[in-house]
Amino acid sequence: MLAIELIAQGLIQGSIYALVALGLTLVYGLLRILHVAHAALFTLGGYVGVMVCNASGNLAVGFFCAALVSGVGGVVMFRLAYQPLLSQPPYVALIASIGLFIASEEAFRIIFGAQGMSFTNPSLEQQFVLGGGLQFKLAELLVMLSTATIIGVLAWLQSRTRVGIACQATVSDPQMAQSFGISLRQVRDINFFVGSALAGFAGVWVALLNNLVEPTMGSVPSYKALAIIVLGGLGSVPGTLAAALLLGVIEAFGTIYLGDILDRNAIAFAFLIAVLMVRPQGLFARS
Amino acid sequence: MKSRIPHFSLLTVAAAAMTFAASPAWAQLKLGFNVPLTGFAAADGKSSLEGAKLAVEQANAKGGVAGQKIELVVYDDQATPKEAVPSATKMVEKDQVIAAVSGSYSGSTRAAAVIFQRAQVPYVVAYAIHPDITLAGDYMFRVSAMGEVQGRGGAKLAQNLGKKKVVLVTLKNDFGQALAAGFKEAAPKLGINIINEYEYGMPDRQFGPLVSKIKSDNPDVIYASGYFFTAGPLVSQLRAAGVTAPIIGQEGYDSDKFIEIAGPASEGTYITTSLDRDSDAPATKAFLADYRKATNSGADMVAAASFTATAVAIEGLKKTGGKGGAALRDAIAAGSYDMPIGKLEFNDLHEVKKDIQVQIVKDKTFRRHSVISDPVLLAPPTKAK
Repeated sequence: MLAIELIAQGLIQGSIYALVALGLTLVYGLLRILHVAHAALFTLGGYVGVMVCNASGNLAVGFFCAALVSGVGGVVMFRLAYQPLLSQPPYVALIASIGLFIASEEAFRIIFGAQGMSFTNPSLEQQFVLGGGLQFKLAELLVMLSTATIIGVLAWLQSRTRVGIACQATVSDPQMAQSFGISLRQVRDINFFVGSALAGFAGVWVALLNNLVEPTMGSVPSYKALAIIVLGGLGSVPGTLAAALLLGVIEAFGTIYLGDILDRNAIAFAFLIAVLMVRPQGLFARS
Repeated sequence: MKSRIPHFSLLTVAAAAMTFAASPAWAQLKLGFNVPLTGFAAADGKSSLEGAKLAVEQANAKGGVAGQKIELVVYDDQATPKEAVPSATKMVEKDQVIAAVSGSYSGSTRAAAVIFQRAQVPYVVAYAIHPDITLAGDYMFRVSAMGEVQGRGGAKLAQNLGKKKVVLVTLKNDFGQALAAGFKEAAPKLGINIINEYEYGMPDRQFGPLVSKIKSDNPDVIYASGYFFTAGPLVSQLRAAGVTAPIIGQEGYDSDKFIEIAGPASEGTYITTSLDRDSDAPATKAFLADYRKATNSGADMVAAASFTATAVAIEGLKKTGGKGGAALRDAIAAGSYDMPIGKLEFNDLHEVKKDIQVQIVKDKTFRRHSVISDPVLLAPPTKAK
């Protein structure tokens, strides 16, 4: 029974990782930039979600605004910080990204205060008692459900709509795509918007699960999501999903059974190193 | 000719700046204060600074020390040794503070302690609980119960509650580990059986796997160390998973933020701390009222302990007439103090001898549960150990 519970907890955590890492993978696939500041949009989403929900009393509005603000934030970040650096080697953008992330953590602290923020009336707190002593908070179940739904819808959009196909084409050959009349700028904007909106959405879920958003809440996801996209084979969307869920479950078991020797947050990297020794291209990349 | 005007004006500005900068320096007694105003501990740092400021304001309103006003020289140490070392060095060399107060965590306070000791500047520590701090030397003082002592107090509380099987959830830093060490030391003597111990790191907020395992351990009571920002999510997740065993926390929980984060799940949580909100002691009641008036928010343990540490240093200065060094050290060591966190005296290691206040969350606020007063069990270490 403990094993089932640990798997469930792993999938909950994995869903959050998946939402955050997906945006990173989209950006990497398109621009070959390791977008560390992505986690700042996750934090931003958390804050917007809590504030809007507290003001309006409606969680759905909170989710919507969080995704919208983070999405727009992502596009702004791209236009202001990354676009001018696209002709530079990738590490230049990486350094800019790290700087941007540190600056935004401090900005959150200055604007929203160091204390963090909580929901005044936390929702989705209802308990679900399943058989055999299994018990979950409604929010925990909905994290998994909504992640699966959103990712399913995105996959459908990407393979069935003109915009989605344009995105895929741009990833595989930007020059060729452009010669077919696809606007690179539009595709990049859409990618940043969607990826960042997902991060913002994840931020609200974490805010709900912990009833706390803090300026530093993005620091662990920022580097763990990097480990996940490397594991998933850089730029591969299904690979990222699988790696995120797998890492969530491995961490859940690792926290309990390896806790004495390995910090929970080190497990991701121990696993990453082990995988890269065997499969340098990542778990799910086509070699 | 052209260059003369800017030269002249620059000189004037510089002279003016020097006058303004220099004038307060003569007339004031400088009291150093290191506190985390940014970084992960910034929330505690804010409370701490408010507490220290209140102590200084009150002393200045009563005429200061020997006709001189006290000036609090504040440095942000981000609760890291890396920032604490340059801050302490600046306080000693540049500001030439007469005494210093720590409103910070153990990591930074340990690093700063060595520097103040070497410079023979008395250093009064508010709430950093690592044992090494007072071992740095005889210029060090601590006004709150150190980690081991509080850990023993936690074990005593578990016994008082009539609980036998305990699970420890330990924060993996010097605060959590010192508490766990004290708890483990006292547990066998009190007939308490530690069935399991788990550790977690400072950035952790999601305790799902740990909670599942604790549920399967089925303890009578949970002794969990942490700060309000880790304990809030932990307590709420334990309750959400259906764990009903009482939870004992410590002064790291001691903030209204804990109750806000954990919500209804916080009800019934015990904490061992230094501040009794329902105290009848005049010093405590006055502090709670003054703090609310000054900041428009309720005081927590960090604010009370920082107020106390600052006030202890000021009382010492009053006795020496504003002199520092060995005279101030001896004056602080010899005093007995009636403070918001209780009546205090220092032992030969300059550790404090005091009771431990147990609070319980009731109707969304911390209320008095009991006071653990056991001079033998709660004896701080001495020079002889």
